[in-house]
Amino acid sequence: MFRRKCGATYLMTDEHHDHQAAPYMAIFGLLIVCTILSALADVLELNLPSAFLIFIVLVIATIKAMFVMMFFMHLKFEGKWKYVILLPTAVLALAMPFALASDIAVHYYDVAVPQENTLLDKEVLAEEQADDHQSHDGHKNGEHGGSH
Amino acid sequence: MSHQHGHPPLKMGLAIPNAKLGMWLFLGTEIMFFTAFIGSYIVLRLGSPGWPTNAEDTHIVIYAGAINTFVLICSSVSVVYALEGVRNKNFDFARKMLILTLVLACGFLGIKAYEYYGKFTHDILPGRIPESNQQALHFTIRDLKAATGIEEAQYKLKTLQKQLGERQAVGGNTESLQSQIEEQQKVVDEITPVSNKVDQLNSLVTAGKIKLGDPGAHGAHAEGEQPEHSAAEGEQTMVDAVAKLHEEHPEYFASVHVPKVIRYGNLFASTYFIMTGFHALHVIVGMILFVMLIGLGSKLGSQHETFVENSGLYWHFVDLVWIFLFPLIYIV
Repeated sequence: MFRRKCGATYLMTDEHHDHQAAPYMAIFGLLIVCTILSALADVLELNLPSAFLIFIVLVIATIKAMFVMMFFMHLKFEGKWKYVILLPTAVLALAMPFALASDIAVHYYDVAVPQENTLLDKEVLAEEQADDHQSHDGHKNGEHGGSH
Repeated sequence: MSHQHGHPPLKMGLAIPNAKLGMWLFLGTEIMFFTAFIGSYIVLRLGSPGWPTNAEDTHIVIYAGAINTFVLICSSVSVVYALEGVRNKNFDFARKMLILTLVLACGFLGIKAYEYYGKFTHDILPGRIPESNQQALHFTIRDLKAATGIEEAQYKLKTLQKQLGERQAVGGNTESLQSQIEEQQKVVDEITPVSNKVDQLNSLVTAGKIKLGDPGAHGAHAEGEQPEHSAAEGEQTMVDAVAKLHEEHPEYFASVHVPKVIRYGNLFASTYFIMTGFHALHVIVGMILFVMLIGLGSKLGSQHETFVENSGLYWHFVDLVWIFLFPLIYIV
């Protein structure tokens, strides 16, 4: 009992000193500015290349996320365990889009090699139909006998 | 024992409360949960030959998204002050901050509901968006047909007739049934001419003799701009046909509109609703946590510090997700 209490107060005071250093209102202002910036980037129609705009907007979002995590979620003041818990999740976060992107998002299919294989499907279908006709004519009895 | 003499005790595991560790582990799974959705959105969007970005089509209101971002950031700040209040034993202040957070969360959901309302009224829902003119024509016919209620009326009539037959076979009293059938027959007879008009339209659609027209020009039509436009084409349009049906039978067709063609709109709607929907669910869960804390009333004390901190961590995560959803959905 004594130990727990001791540990708790130790933790609390230790954290407390750090917390007072976190300037919440300043971070709040910064987050608001970032939000206005990213909204303006879209509304003003700056004639920038869209890839650049996307990049800017996502960088702003990442900056905002970093500030929220570091100060509001106090990660800046936490021990090294934060890496153990959070970094593995980044593996899935990044692996999934990258793994799927190679097939779905990156178009290595084109008209000659269509993704939906519409041309190929038609050819295969035509061949199958041709086969069907043949078997109807000649092999029908033989097949029937074979299956029984 | 050495640990009873002065220096801090050796602790098994990490120097944080177990509940907080649990919350962080949970947030780890939450990161994977949301990145799976966001990742599949990114991949599907990059893989799609096109994407609806016109705000008039998608009813994406950037101001609503920006205001919601603002609201969530404010609530993140208020929840962080609530934790400070608990730590400084200023529980009254903490409670006020928690109430402010809850109010802001309600505001977020209100704006979200307004956005969803716009999507539902315009049928911007997965699987309900026509992606070609032909689909839009078929959708309109389906809706017109459903609006007449002919199928239900006929089905009801048939069931009544079947019941009558059964009762006659037994030799029971059929008077009330027969009067019911007569009434139902009247209903069917009333609908049939209206339904026939829809069938005529349908035959035009299947014969390819009708064009869609411009569903967006509904307002202009009332001011008399539309007829000139369609007369120039010399072909009947579905928009005109539906407008005519509106005039002739408002009691049936008032709610039927020609849907707007949005190419790749269904994929857009699916990803939009899965991301914002799950986010909204998380907002609701956060609100439940705050209601629990506020419900403690004056009992809120230092023993709830971890609870407040964990609710705060969860709430910041909800904010984080929105920080990424806002640019990805509303801006890009």
